[in-house]
Amino acid sequence: MRQWQRRRLVGYAFVGPVFLFLCAVVVFPLSHAFWISLHRTRGLATSFSGTANYQRALTDDAFWHSLGVSIQFTVACVTLHMLIGLCLALLLNEIRFAKTALRVAFLTPWMVAPAVGATIWLWLLEPQFGVVNFLLGAIGVIDAPLAWLGTPNLALISVIAVDVWRGVPFVMLLILAGLQTIPRDQYEAASMDGAGSWQRFRYITLPNLRYLLVVASTLDIINTIRHYDIIGVMTAGGPAGATEVLPVLLYNTAFRGNRFGEAAAIGVLLLLIVLAFAIFHIRLTKPEQGSAQ
Amino acid sequence: MRTTKTLAALAAATLCAALGTATAQQPIVLQWQTANLTEKQYEPIWKATIAEFEAANPGIKIEPVLVARKDHWTKFVAAALAKQAPCIVSVDVATAAYNGYLMPMDKFIQAESAEFRGAWSPDILSAAKWKGKLYGLPIWGGTYAEIYNRELVTKAGLDPANPPKTWAEYLAWSKKLTGNGVWATAVLGGKTDTTTRVLLTWIWSNGGEAFNADMTEATFAKNPKSLEAIKFYLGLAGKQGLAAPAPTTTNYLEQTNLFSQGKIANMRNAYWAVAKVHDDNPAMKGNMFVAPIPANVANAPTMSTMTASSISASCPHPEAAWKFIKFDADKKWSIERARVANWMPLRNDLANDPQIKADPLLAQFIQIGTRARSYPLPSPIWAEIAAGDIVDAVQRALLQPEKTDEIFRDLDARLTKKLRDV
Repeated sequence: MRQWQRRRLVGYAFVGPVFLFLCAVVVFPLSHAFWISLHRTRGLATSFSGTANYQRALTDDAFWHSLGVSIQFTVACVTLHMLIGLCLALLLNEIRFAKTALRVAFLTPWMVAPAVGATIWLWLLEPQFGVVNFLLGAIGVIDAPLAWLGTPNLALISVIAVDVWRGVPFVMLLILAGLQTIPRDQYEAASMDGAGSWQRFRYITLPNLRYLLVVASTLDIINTIRHYDIIGVMTAGGPAGATEVLPVLLYNTAFRGNRFGEAAAIGVLLLLIVLAFAIFHIRLTKPEQGSAQ
Repeated sequence: MRTTKTLAALAAATLCAALGTATAQQPIVLQWQTANLTEKQYEPIWKATIAEFEAANPGIKIEPVLVARKDHWTKFVAAALAKQAPCIVSVDVATAAYNGYLMPMDKFIQAESAEFRGAWSPDILSAAKWKGKLYGLPIWGGTYAEIYNRELVTKAGLDPANPPKTWAEYLAWSKKLTGNGVWATAVLGGKTDTTTRVLLTWIWSNGGEAFNADMTEATFAKNPKSLEAIKFYLGLAGKQGLAAPAPTTTNYLEQTNLFSQGKIANMRNAYWAVAKVHDDNPAMKGNMFVAPIPANVANAPTMSTMTASSISASCPHPEAAWKFIKFDADKKWSIERARVANWMPLRNDLANDPQIKADPLLAQFIQIGTRARSYPLPSPIWAEIAAGDIVDAVQRALLQPEKTDEIFRDLDARLTKKLRDV
């Protein structure tokens, strides 16, 4: 065997275990889910039904409603993650004292398991006995307790708020890492030329962070659109379907309805939506990646 | 060399013998899952049940599976699909049997004595059957009635000895009980099937029906008496303001919390709520009284839930599982469950037991339950529609009361389609 063939074989040998692992945890489950989506399932009884589950999902009002809620939830959460995350990262990048302590404090929501955090917020937002209503009432912001999870608009705002509380630290961390790679001499040169703080931010910080922001927002969108934990624990998709995002619809269809074939079809459709978005987003920003580098 | 070989052979033989003995001595381990194992009032009873059973049956170990009520069905279904469900479960019999998750138990009960089989009425047993086969042994139940806070009722100038019998009287009481940060009652609109249970009691108390006789058509809106009942009940939370706020997030837990804290004067609940309230607020002991559900028609039925212990289809030791179920269904544990956790016995040979008769509240619930309809309703998709479609409709109607007719007409259409698709 020639040396380059031997080196290639060694490469495959190192990649092999990871490839097998990916097959086991990604390829097989996905294939199995797709296979189930082609069957009519009622508990343990299954029969092949072709694309019937997809037709049912795509003609079901509940699916389109959930898609709409998912889009609203994702757009709101990602926008707030990026804006607040950017502001916090800029703040943490500038301060000189208690930097580590503040970073840990800001990271704490991200360290809490989503279901645990959601359960804590469920009790904080409880209409009669929750702390949030008590504090808001005490400072005179509200006259009567609000049903934070009891009305459609408030419920959606509440779950978005909790997701933002949880998701901002990750984005903040990514952007903070990016800020620290921007050469200081660019800022110094701009200052010497008389650039103000807004101009420095617009013409130095943002262009240097552009590719990172694309990556962060893409990852965030993919993560948020498939979110189940917070909404599943806090509202289970209610009230009246106001917070029923696609993952919650999928869960309810599978485990409450015992219709695993339909649930798998919803899952495959969700995957396609996420994939389509990811490809579109990356292609859209590809020319800018080259110029930013 | 020969010595080494002999020693090796001896060691191998000893190891095989030890393994064989160990395997032979391994007890049978049965997993037991019911949503109630995580309820505080039941804990001392199930622990004692397991301890006594294992002492009497050294070859069998019972391993409780602790899971929160709202995750109980999901966990069971996931395990059942993997053919690794706990051997002993308490789930919605019709839904679970229809989906192939349970094992028929006819051969086990038929092998028992006539005295044992006679402890359950045919009506009670039929509630645990699907397509003529028995899939669960009814263990305990709960009858729904009106539970009042005596102190709040007296403070409002009302007579506890004369509780409301009709809706008009109930409304009059509710108006007097509401005020100063206290509401008359709570309307359940949270995302669990308790919402549906209470809704059904209101429908039945008006002479209405939610479904046709063979469960192939929903009649929430189609039956005018059903729609009238829905509007009356949900209207308590609406403009009338007689029910605690945020009904769309009020489940059994929130309702009993409100009652324990004296925020609502009355709750429609089953006997088990009494134990929970006592536990939440010991000051409530002796401060509750019970009355039949107010009704607009004579002899209106209330609701009695039925919880059965079943054997999962994948259980490798069904005989051992039956042994435990039979042990748990014994008079002794039925009385303990009633006495401590306030779960009503379903055996018909306990009504005259001194310990049952000694509890006046329990005796009242038993009396009220003599005119009750069984829950859950016999449909293989009951678990889905009771906690899903019906709750969604209730929530929509609470948020948009002016559209109640349209919402429940849509519900009828959707449910009828699902019921016929089974």
